[in-house]
Amino acid sequence: MVEIVFLTPFVTGIIAFFFPKTIGRQLLVGTGAIHLFLSLFLWKNRPEAIFNNYFAVTPEGLLSLLVISLLFFLISIYTIAYLKESEIQAENIFTGSMLLFLSTMTMVTLSDHIMVMWIAIEATTLASAPLIYTHRSSASLEATWKYVLICSVGIAMALLGSVLITFSMDIGNVDAPLSFSALTKVAKELDPIWLKAGFVFIVVGYGTKMGLAPMHTWLPDAHSEAPSPASALLSGVLLNCAYLGIFKTTKIMYAAGLGDFSGMILIVFGLLSIVAAATFILKQNEYKRMLAYSSIENMGIIAFGTGIGGIAAYGAVICMIHHSLIKSSLFLSSGNILLGYGNRFIANTGNLLGRMPKTFVAFFSGFAGISGFPPFGIFIGEMFIIVGAFRTGHYVTVCIFIISLCVIFAGFANQVMKISFDDSTKGASNKTIQVKEKASLVWPQYILLLTSLILCFFMPDTLYQTIIDAVTAIGGGLK
Amino acid sequence: MIHPVDTILSLVLLSVLFSFGTSRLPKLIIVVGFQGIVVSIVPFFIGHDMTPGGIVFTLVTFFIRGILIPMSIYIAIKKKAIQRKVAPIVGYHASLLFGLGLIVAATYISRQLDIVSISDYKLLLPTAISLLVTGMFLLMTRRNAIAMVLGYIIMENGIYLVGTTFSVRALRIVEFGILLDVLAGVMIMTVILQNIKQTFDDVDTAHLRTLKE
Repeated sequence: MVEIVFLTPFVTGIIAFFFPKTIGRQLLVGTGAIHLFLSLFLWKNRPEAIFNNYFAVTPEGLLSLLVISLLFFLISIYTIAYLKESEIQAENIFTGSMLLFLSTMTMVTLSDHIMVMWIAIEATTLASAPLIYTHRSSASLEATWKYVLICSVGIAMALLGSVLITFSMDIGNVDAPLSFSALTKVAKELDPIWLKAGFVFIVVGYGTKMGLAPMHTWLPDAHSEAPSPASALLSGVLLNCAYLGIFKTTKIMYAAGLGDFSGMILIVFGLLSIVAAATFILKQNEYKRMLAYSSIENMGIIAFGTGIGGIAAYGAVICMIHHSLIKSSLFLSSGNILLGYGNRFIANTGNLLGRMPKTFVAFFSGFAGISGFPPFGIFIGEMFIIVGAFRTGHYVTVCIFIISLCVIFAGFANQVMKISFDDSTKGASNKTIQVKEKASLVWPQYILLLTSLILCFFMPDTLYQTIIDAVTAIGGGLK
Repeated sequence: MIHPVDTILSLVLLSVLFSFGTSRLPKLIIVVGFQGIVVSIVPFFIGHDMTPGGIVFTLVTFFIRGILIPMSIYIAIKKKAIQRKVAPIVGYHASLLFGLGLIVAATYISRQLDIVSISDYKLLLPTAISLLVTGMFLLMTRRNAIAMVLGYIIMENGIYLVGTTFSVRALRIVEFGILLDVLAGVMIMTVILQNIKQTFDDVDTAHLRTLKE
């Protein structure tokens, strides 16, 4: 039963490759709806998988799955409107890859076996490569090349890390299935040295895919060259999938009593990413690259929070959910800006408020949300992380953390103000509006932002309990 | 007594040195194919559970790692008349010297680790480490995109060698999944290579510099 959730988009994805584009578009939304329904069913019933050696329904997996499902459904509605406005060659490859991408990401959230997890994460790279090359330009070719090569090499490191974990089982004479849940139970008997080595390789490997500095170099290129709906998926949910790999390994580390070691490594990589994002975001002249750097920042925040543990780990999961919601809405809005101005340089946009008021509302509130302003959820997440860091005595690191966030906010705000209000730019003086703001081009963003807003004030008990279940396993919680 | 595994692995170590020193892509592809063949038949010699399924799996690995992957890259070179030099950033002599140092270091480290379960096969771990680092080295010091893909494959071979020796528990189906991923990855890289060749009329990654910070 569990497997059907990722098999459905797999089958429809294959079908979409061979059918004309009108059918592909219907398939996209249809599969999105079915997937959302199936995910809600999983959430409610939490069934056992048929191949329960390889797949399992876990709290952290369910959280990611629900986010993926909701996002994909809304993005697929947007995509139809987007595809009508933009010219994309070989649209069947685009829709087919989107569906396969959904399938592989779903598989990541449901996999429990260490190697199956690796297979699924590598498969997400392969399924999303054609998406980045959609525009067939030399820049997108370069982005795809970097993406496939850097991520494949990075993920190969994670494979080595997984092998080293099997080795820690050999040395510790542990006889258990090679699954995260089984290893968490017997973690104390694993050989600590090889487990540590395995963890480091896994963080480097999946960290490459998650966009942690200094392995992040592919991310701004890939996210800016892909068509906006694909960027929204890449940034909103793919990064979470890679994080899930690290999160599950952290669970083993925590159960083995090596939580301090894994925490320290995550804090270092997290801080590095935040500082790297703060350095590079200041000089960005393209708005999609700017959003990509903001993703690196947020992944850094999540890794940092997870590393600190306690209340900060709870904050990290909150940040993860809200980052997905808000960042994907921002990327969709950036798609509208691209359609409206026909240009991706900030200097060639301007006066968004006057020219595309509906997109402006989505873009500007997205900006407020991602910068950590209340009433959006990232505010709460970041606050928990900062409080958690102070409580555990990480004074120096939390200072770097806060200063970097301020720098990023300043850089981000500067550019967003230019895009939104500046009417002295080239883009603002060119009065021809190239695209009408149809409902399906703005409502998906509104719904995403509203969801973030509502979750901030009212969190359903089942969601709260699932988050608590997930973070308790890495020593987190609201105490 | 010298174990047969060590005999064939010593040839792989030699091929590692060769891949540091060669300037021609077709030669490098043959070396990669040879390494693929050897790492895929090592399980035959180590011989934990040689069930019919295990033998079939080993043969499939042999076919994919030793023949299919190198052939697909070779065909890509032939068809698109891609430039045959590897365009090194670090010269061949320096590379060779690095290779020698690497093998010594790998052997030393393997001794230090002193792993009981594979202590019968003295060259296993040194070869695996050497392949891993060689792949990394080629990735970093060759500007030719094909040489970079070959570096990635060498690295994968190294990881596979570590995997076959350690992961006695790893199930065939899972290993097969990994193999398929690697194969699909290499295929996608080959497609990108052909597109790079078409767009820039060359596979030198020096052309791929527009998206730099």
